[in-house]
Amino acid sequence: MSDAPTLVEPAAGGDAPARSRRVAPIIVLVVTLVIAGFFVILVRAKPDSSDTAYSPLIGKPAPAVQAMTLDGKAFDLQHRKGSWVVLNFFNATCGPCVQEHPELVKFAADQKALGGSGAELYSVVWNDLDGGTADFFRTNKVSWPVLIDKDANIAVKFGVAKVPETWIIDPNGYVVRRVISNLTDDELTRYLSIDQAISAGGAANGTPTATS
Amino acid sequence: MSTATAPAPAPLNRKLKRWPGWVVLLGVVIVALLIGSTRSTGPLTDEDRLDGIAQHIACPECEGESVYESQSPAAQNIRIQIKSLISQGTFSDDQIIAYVETNFGTKTQLVPKATGFDAVVWALPVFAGVCAIAGLTVAFRRWRSAADTVPTEADRAIVDAALAEQDDEH
Amino acid sequence: MLGATVNGTLGHSVLLVGLICATFGALATVYGIRTGDSRLLRTTQRYAFGVALAGVAAFGVMERALVDRDFTLAYVQQVGSADTPFLFNITAIWSALEGSILLWLLILVGYTAVIARRFRKRLADPLVAWALVVMFVVCIFFFVLTLGPADAFRAGAIGVTKGTGPNPLLQNHILVLFHPPILYLGYVGMTVPFAFAIAALITGRVGERWLTETRRFALFAWGFLTIGILLGGWWSYEVLGWSGVWGWDPVENASLLPWLTGTAYIHSVLVQERRGMLRVWNLTLLVSTFALTILGTFLTRSGVIKSVHAFSNGTIGPYLLSFFGIVAVVSLGLIAWRGDRLRSPGAIDSPMSREGAFLANNVLFTVFAFVVLLGTVFPLIVEALQNRTIKVGSPYFESMVVPFGLVLLFLMAVAPVLPWRKASTELLRDRLFWPAWVGVIAMVVPLVFGATGFAALLAFGLGGFAAGAASRQLILATRRQGLRGLVGRANGGMVVHIGVIIVAVALVASTTYTHSSVIELTVGKQASYGGHTFELVAVEGFTTARSNGVRAKVRVDNAKDYSPAITTYTAFGSNVPTPSVRNGVLDDIYLTIEPGAAPGDKTATIKVFIKPLVVWLWIGGLLMVVGTGLSGFPGKRRRRPTDPTSAPIPIGPDPDPVSEEPVSV
Repeated sequence: MSDAPTLVEPAAGGDAPARSRRVAPIIVLVVTLVIAGFFVILVRAKPDSSDTAYSPLIGKPAPAVQAMTLDGKAFDLQHRKGSWVVLNFFNATCGPCVQEHPELVKFAADQKALGGSGAELYSVVWNDLDGGTADFFRTNKVSWPVLIDKDANIAVKFGVAKVPETWIIDPNGYVVRRVISNLTDDELTRYLSIDQAISAGGAANGTPTATS
Repeated sequence: MSTATAPAPAPLNRKLKRWPGWVVLLGVVIVALLIGSTRSTGPLTDEDRLDGIAQHIACPECEGESVYESQSPAAQNIRIQIKSLISQGTFSDDQIIAYVETNFGTKTQLVPKATGFDAVVWALPVFAGVCAIAGLTVAFRRWRSAADTVPTEADRAIVDAALAEQDDEH
Repeated sequence: MLGATVNGTLGHSVLLVGLICATFGALATVYGIRTGDSRLLRTTQRYAFGVALAGVAAFGVMERALVDRDFTLAYVQQVGSADTPFLFNITAIWSALEGSILLWLLILVGYTAVIARRFRKRLADPLVAWALVVMFVVCIFFFVLTLGPADAFRAGAIGVTKGTGPNPLLQNHILVLFHPPILYLGYVGMTVPFAFAIAALITGRVGERWLTETRRFALFAWGFLTIGILLGGWWSYEVLGWSGVWGWDPVENASLLPWLTGTAYIHSVLVQERRGMLRVWNLTLLVSTFALTILGTFLTRSGVIKSVHAFSNGTIGPYLLSFFGIVAVVSLGLIAWRGDRLRSPGAIDSPMSREGAFLANNVLFTVFAFVVLLGTVFPLIVEALQNRTIKVGSPYFESMVVPFGLVLLFLMAVAPVLPWRKASTELLRDRLFWPAWVGVIAMVVPLVFGATGFAALLAFGLGGFAAGAASRQLILATRRQGLRGLVGRANGGMVVHIGVIIVAVALVASTTYTHSSVIELTVGKQASYGGHTFELVAVEGFTTARSNGVRAKVRVDNAKDYSPAITTYTAFGSNVPTPSVRNGVLDDIYLTIEPGAAPGDKTATIKVFIKPLVVWLWIGGLLMVVGTGLSGFPGKRRRRPTDPTSAPIPIGPDPDPVSEEPVSV
């Protein structure tokens, strides 16, 4: 920033506008290209629907779960190896969950009838801040164990976002299926038999599946 | 620069504004910033930690809210779980965030990672900043060289047009 | 069915009339310009008034349908309810997509009519005529939206006699009456300067005059956008229960983006007025501001990005995207076409000058707008290129905003004392000395009271520095001119600056130093946290026609009772927590009740946030509004825009002819 007047050759002065004329089209071109590219991305963008049954847990060993049941017994998922386990996350204030409940009662009865090869059903009390869901199970006695999810331990371990949600775990303790929606007895039985067939058909861990 | 002009008997205000006044100012600022950035912020309560962690996790069932903001049951669950993890006292904030992410998948990831393609979202702002500074530098240099030019015919035409427009108006 | 939907038929009819008026208005104006028929052009304001009447009538019909609970309309079935109180029934019109487009239309036709009226003597001037054409075209687009993909007057399912009412969050605070219309006044108001920019490009009259026509409109829109954004923050604070004012949600970003480019514009426009420079740049800013309002609406109303504020997905997306594309293509084409005329006659001699500072400010605002846009759309880019879903949340934006905010505060400190053309270091040393010491005090005082953190303290210091510079300008101006020294673009601008600084400092303090704790309260026992005492008085239940809930009466500091509540809206089944806030000059006490409380309980779990300086956000905002109003009035010195500051002058010691004489403070 010197105050001394600088001597500039006239040629250089005359050159400046010419140079700026050369730069301007480049800038316009770059801007146009960026906007065009952006436009293409926007045209191709689809409405965001992130409600998928994908879970990073599928095909992996189920997280370790220790909890107390509603009637005060200790539960450890590790000890359930050897049989198929169905976990159902439940909240009494959620309409679809309550709708699904009778179907689960049927499902539990069906599986019990199968004896040793039947799957074990567990309900997980989900987000029960005012104790209403625990009360629901106290008044509607069920034949299967109900797990109290202290500190939302199980919910966070399984990444449960919205109930009702049902998980199927194979006898080796691997997560094979996650279902986000309310199920009927038939649907759940069908899913279970598919998973059992795949598991029996060779692969030790079953094929990862996800159903919405 | 005219700092070399003869020191006339200046009023106090002028004397203060000479370099020493600014040096003192700079010194005070540096000391204040040093004290402020090194002294401890006091112990973080569990609740403060919970808030901080929850702000970094997206609520899995909501649309664009963090676990900190959302009142949905899933967000409540995650907060309860984080709280219990904090109270165990052995996990760092990053570990807790990573724990939630491994269980829920990327949909609870609220902050893009600095690896892979996601790094672009961190790099582009820096790149844009560099471009802006470079552009400004080039523009000013150019203007400085252009400042001495003689107006061309085209320039005169623009000025004439502008003056004509003004005459229309008045 | 036809007989039943009186309101539907009426609504469709007035919208159709509006569409026809706007189409004829546009065609007649273009025809008048082409043929030079000034008599025809003078009649175009009738079309504008016709359009305005239609827009107002459509809005009125929908309000009537809502008030009458006319459940034959699908929209009333969606947002209407017999239980909604009158006030929230009125505001229900903008609680979903179709009605919000009606609100947009209402404001747009209002602006169109105002322009037609304001320039009624100059309608034959092609510049004004083209601007009106642009307004008509935008109106046509929105009439098409209201008749097609966002049809508010569609007949609903037959036999429905009740509805759920608006979303619970949109019917429990009075601010829902003010925030959306005010925000839209700003958002839609950006159409006016855009229309004049396009008109200037088409007519080739890219001189400074069109700017002076629209500067006040731009300022008006900017002011309302500012109030709208701040009210949105206030509403979030009072209603949502997480104690924040800004969540960097896509919808919030969509309102911030035009604000950023608009702010850049209202600064750089001064350079063009004074020096005739930055013409392309200013046109680009105006066009981008308008394009960003459309783009933001597309992003948040088409469902491509999820947001808390988003409405249910309609088929409106392709329309908005096409319109955005047209705006971009037309504007870029026009700027390229008129590029030769836009060449500025002059140069910015030194970065250390008023115009140099404005340019730096513009670059900063633009880069920041780019960053916000990037963060907002980055999930879309990743999805398109890699088919993965990612999120970009507030921690990203917060880490980005810090450097920009600090540099902007620094610029705000230096720029007001800079003269046009060129400044010497000596002059800076002289003028900045006392403002800088104000900054030191603003840094040291919080330090003494225990403030920590490098960025926060630097922000306080720079804020004080900037406030000092702005005050210096105001003191000098009022010393010379009395109260008139507060008026005009430069001095009113300084009032806005002080408002901005207060908002910035309050934001820094409230985000950096907020502390919270969950406290278990028992009736009759006092608990304390953060230097305040809390005592539970009672846990009460309450019932209204549309909701029931539970609230905890908490006595704070043995004085007043505050009642955070959780309300369950029976029609929705969702729990809405309502915070209770004690505002204070130094800190706010923000109480929410944790879920699980029942009426009659002797204990309650309360979450307490202690948030410093929150009140100053609103005070600063108010000052910004006042300052915007002051800068809308003409200042003392009226300069003709073509006066020759832009002619070449010799390089040498600059006597600083236009800024105030070098008085020392």
